[in-house]
Amino acid sequence: MSGASISSISWSDTLDDNISEESLGTTSEGKKLLTPLRGVSAFLATFKVMYKEEFRKNVEFAKARQMVLFPLLLALVTMVSTIGLQFLVGDSAAQTSETSVNSFTWQELRFGLHLPLLMFSLGMGTFAFMGRDALVRRTASKNHLLASPALQPLPNSMAHFAYFVKDLVFYVMLILSPIILGMGLGKGLDTLFGITTPLEYSSLPWTWFAMVVTLAQGLVLSFLASALWMRGRPFTIFGPLSVILFGIIVGVGAIDIEFILIGLQIQTEKNVLIGLIGFVSCIGLGYFSSMLIIDDFDVSVVEKGDLFRPMYGRLSFLGRGEIRIIVAKEFVDLFRSGSIKKMVVSYSIPLAVLLGMAWLIDFAEAPIPINLLSYAPFLGFFGFNFYSWLTILDSPEFMNGLPVKVPQLIRAKVLVYFIITSWISLIFIILMAWRLDEWTSLPTSIIVMFANSIYIVALTAFLMGLRPNKAIFDASIMIWFWIGTVLPLLGLFLLSFTQGDVSLYGNWWERASEDGLAATASMYDEGMVRQGYVGMLSISAFLLFASAVLWKLMDRRWGAAEFDN
Amino acid sequence: MSETAPLVKAVDMAKKYGDFIALHPLKVEVHSGEFFGVFGPNGAGKSTFIKLLTGQLKPSKGRIEILGIDAIKHPQKVKANIGIVPESESPPSYLTPVEFLQFVAKLRDLDEVDAKVEYWMEWFGLEDKRNTMCKDLSKGQRQKVMLASAFIHKPKLLFLDEPFANLDPIYQRKCREWLLSHVKDGGTIFLCSHVLEMAERMCNRMAIINDGKVLAAGTVRGLKQNIEETLEDVFIRLVGRSIEDVESSPTDVENEEE
Repeated sequence: MSGASISSISWSDTLDDNISEESLGTTSEGKKLLTPLRGVSAFLATFKVMYKEEFRKNVEFAKARQMVLFPLLLALVTMVSTIGLQFLVGDSAAQTSETSVNSFTWQELRFGLHLPLLMFSLGMGTFAFMGRDALVRRTASKNHLLASPALQPLPNSMAHFAYFVKDLVFYVMLILSPIILGMGLGKGLDTLFGITTPLEYSSLPWTWFAMVVTLAQGLVLSFLASALWMRGRPFTIFGPLSVILFGIIVGVGAIDIEFILIGLQIQTEKNVLIGLIGFVSCIGLGYFSSMLIIDDFDVSVVEKGDLFRPMYGRLSFLGRGEIRIIVAKEFVDLFRSGSIKKMVVSYSIPLAVLLGMAWLIDFAEAPIPINLLSYAPFLGFFGFNFYSWLTILDSPEFMNGLPVKVPQLIRAKVLVYFIITSWISLIFIILMAWRLDEWTSLPTSIIVMFANSIYIVALTAFLMGLRPNKAIFDASIMIWFWIGTVLPLLGLFLLSFTQGDVSLYGNWWERASEDGLAATASMYDEGMVRQGYVGMLSISAFLLFASAVLWKLMDRRWGAAEFDN
Repeated sequence: MSETAPLVKAVDMAKKYGDFIALHPLKVEVHSGEFFGVFGPNGAGKSTFIKLLTGQLKPSKGRIEILGIDAIKHPQKVKANIGIVPESESPPSYLTPVEFLQFVAKLRDLDEVDAKVEYWMEWFGLEDKRNTMCKDLSKGQRQKVMLASAFIHKPKLLFLDEPFANLDPIYQRKCREWLLSHVKDGGTIFLCSHVLEMAERMCNRMAIINDGKVLAAGTVRGLKQNIEETLEDVFIRLVGRSIEDVESSPTDVENEEE
């Protein structure tokens, strides 16, 4: 009679793993074995539930009303922008690609549409990291379908591919389609109110399709990068290096960026073949990226020395309150999860690209007077992604039982952001000052940079709390975020032009249109420079003041919230 | 029990994380119609054991075969043909119980999915929660959904990790009786727990593990040294810690100055 048997053996008595490929002799006792779904069937079954999951996640945060409002708002903004197109391209410039004085060319406008879309999608497509996070957190109070391959007969690669397509479809429905609808509405006002809108109805499907391809391109490049990163070395070293190199090559104009933006080419050429090849390539690359994701569900059990107490000790400058304890805990999470490396690299790459470009381009000859002060405000914008990342590091539900409140955790995350990134930003701005030989504006640049960084992260934290990733479809939040960031940023950016070639400031577009990179002007107005400094410092002071107010108001907005991300 | 080939077999199976050994090499065989339990204190390696056998983890060493399928090479095929109830994993938070059960049934390409889903929804008393997202269910209800997802294809082989941890006594009994009848009908169950009462009530064979090593194995009665000895006594004797040891353990962490 046979019964279950089990026994431990010593390591020395174990056999070589590859000694035999023979069956161990188990049986299903003649029971017909089930074959798990594969291919298209598995994809469809997974995609359908993932789409529902995504929709509900967003509705839960933004509430159904705001979810409907967001695409409506986008459509409205696009409608107004469409009406305004005639002022941007000039009445006579409609549907032409010729350069017009005091106006943008259609190609420039198209470029202005596709490049930000690519940047946005690059930031949203790190699916391999998301999958790992979902897996690590599957035993927490929230579980997601992306982690289901651990338990269900579904390959991890298929789950990731379905997730990629789901995100693409979701963004197309909630962002791109409302934009096209808005363009259509704007064009519709032609006949109703006699406004001249230099746009053809026939161009709308092309614009929609071209934008879909640009979105897919950004998502898939980001997906590929994260999937390669998860494969470990050498990709973790060569990946970021090649991104920096590629960024510099594009930045210095060795490769035309319009050539890289497939969507832009589709819109320009209106070529079905390019469109199909571009779209299928993106989906194909998405499938390839998903195949790089292996069925690894190991959540390492690694014994480590106490990190919390040393970390707490190092944070003595934060006093003895709860914030210091939470910040120490956040740092432990960052180091133990390995996220610190990914975050620092992803924060540094764009800066390294900018620095590399500054090395290769002589800005004194550039038509737009970009200077050290022009860079300073933009550094703050990277803070949004960084803060978002910090909020998904760990599930904070356990804190509901502790004597702390949500605003304290939010503040701790803002502090962590500042502690980790401030030195990188500082090094960047000093190196840039050295490269551009603009030491006199360095102190102001540092003030502007820090004020803007603190403000943007404080604003993000105040508006979105612990769930910034889910706030992007919340119309009411995004309106405030847009107003709160674009206005001061634009002010700082424009004022920064007063610090160099001020005659060019007044007429840079005309000069650049005529002479391109050969445009020159050399008048230097000291009064304007002084006013510019005062203006920038005033805005920075205001941003710091606004940050302090937001810091205080955090309690009112999030004081009664529960810990949930 | 008849003389048959095993349903579960692992040879030299071990799991290491760096220098940390979660499970020392072991060999195991489980045959059809058995209710086999692995018991041990917290952190003994029980969950790692079950995850290795079910294809959730890859072993650092050894070979694993389940129902004639190589579990290392074809983990999805293994997962399709067994039922797994994990210790602490919940169903996806933003799906309803019905949607989740339909999803797991479809992945296995089952027939009559709706009928099967309805049957288990009713069996677990979840009919009035059919439109509630899993995140809004109680822990016990989520556990019922996970149990239903493991039972839905009536697998011959079930792996259960602390399956009754969050269930009320009524459903504990109902599940226990179903599992016993499943074994009677030719099913096989591999259970991990630290609740020794389950061994007494359900298992025909058991093993006690600690620190990733098998300390003893056999029938429940066979593990007792004498008739007075309880399974708890056996457990404490084998694990090597007495109640006095536990009580004398330092519990206060010294408050250190920075």
